[in-house]
Amino acid sequence: MANWVPLWLHRLGSPPVFYRFAGAVRPWALGLALVLGAVALYGGLFVAPADYQQGDAYRIIFIHVPSAWMSLFIYGAMAVAAFIGLVWRIKIAETVAMESAPVGAAFTFITLVTGSLWGKPMWGTWWTWDARLTSELVLLFIYLGVIGLYHSFEDRRQGARAASFLVLVGAVNVPIVHFSVNWWNTLHQGSTVRLLGPSHIEASMLWPLLTMMAATKLYYIASLFARARADLVASESGKGWVRDLLAGRTGNDPA
Amino acid sequence: MRPGSTSAACAALLRRDLTLAWRRRGDIALPVLYAVIVATLFPFALGPDPALLSRIAGGVVFVTVLLAILLSLDQLFRADIEDGSMEQLMLAPQPLALLVAMKILAHWITAALPLIVVAPLLAGMLRLPPEAMPVLVAALLLATPLLSLMGAVLVALTAGTRRSGMLLALMLLPLCVPVVIFAAGAVAAAQEGLPWIAPIAWLGAGLALALVLAPLACAAALRIAMDT
Repeated sequence: MANWVPLWLHRLGSPPVFYRFAGAVRPWALGLALVLGAVALYGGLFVAPADYQQGDAYRIIFIHVPSAWMSLFIYGAMAVAAFIGLVWRIKIAETVAMESAPVGAAFTFITLVTGSLWGKPMWGTWWTWDARLTSELVLLFIYLGVIGLYHSFEDRRQGARAASFLVLVGAVNVPIVHFSVNWWNTLHQGSTVRLLGPSHIEASMLWPLLTMMAATKLYYIASLFARARADLVASESGKGWVRDLLAGRTGNDPA
Repeated sequence: MRPGSTSAACAALLRRDLTLAWRRRGDIALPVLYAVIVATLFPFALGPDPALLSRIAGGVVFVTVLLAILLSLDQLFRADIEDGSMEQLMLAPQPLALLVAMKILAHWITAALPLIVVAPLLAGMLRLPPEAMPVLVAALLLATPLLSLMGAVLVALTAGTRRSGMLLALMLLPLCVPVVIFAAGAVAAAQEGLPWIAPIAWLGAGLALALVLAPLACAAALRIAMDT
């Protein structure tokens, strides 16, 4: 009975199967992400009360905090995919790892920009060399390095393998950077909004935050699948299934 | 034909790299010259105020040394890849990680050691107090091998690409953040008369870790980048 799970995963490793699976999942994920995002924005911007100290300015956390979570979550997902791709040489895993990087970089960038927008009225400055800000900036550099390394190879698979290796080196390095930066400058550590735990936040502020978290996760899946489909078509352009696809022939299931 | 012992192969490779570097002595002087130029520019840009210069001296020397090493890292494997010796090293019966470690050691001796020699001079020009000077040299002795080892992994990853200079800087920056923090932190602590042993110990721990892991990672990265 449990046999179909490994069998299905095994079949998913084949590019045409993954292409069709991603194509079927993507609209649902995107639609659900948009609906949940709209609900969360409504809850965050209209339903949740204003903060007694920060007024309405705190409402940016409904974008900022989910983006910050995603910037780390996507790195974790990318590292797992890179490890699988390097060890078992599964092409889909390499594609997933490489196409995660731009999405992760975008979320990291959004985190930094929204943090700056919030910091300007709250701290009086849009940038400070605080530990959390600095590690987030370093994370952005790692993402950019991965993207740059991937695109500097002429052979896509070779580039993907080299960049996957860099992802793993970065995964070892990220905790070290985090702790050394904390040690270097722990100013503002307690006052950053990201430290808000579930126990310290009002329920009417918590549910839009969690809904937005689900929305960003679904958006990541939708974006990743769209990018992976485009990448598969480009890298497999010589294969029969892509030619059938472009010619509009659905054909029989080749997998 | 029986292959030579591993230690003999390592010694031969080290001797070869050092001889090659010695034949082109002018290239060894370039990173040092670069460091001197960069360090000289800081007083021009910031003004010759001794109080300000002595406060930033430690950090300026570390960043300058880092940039000079970054400049020389690009050449680490390039000549060997272009003339095909790297393929021979990969095919050698000896473990590639050890052979690569010898190449990194040769690079450290030729590129980083002259920088460590000249660093106290630069720090003195920038008015670093004499009591902080031994800490500066100790931190450099621990930090430069760490930079060479981590840089070698990244250089190996870019071995198969055409343009690597800017990319290397982008990839090395996140890796060298802790090194700069601890090394400059030790010097700053010594300047203020605080205990400086903790950051030095962190650097030593990082070096011990990198000495074991970096040659293995570098060998794996070379195999990926050369696609063998």
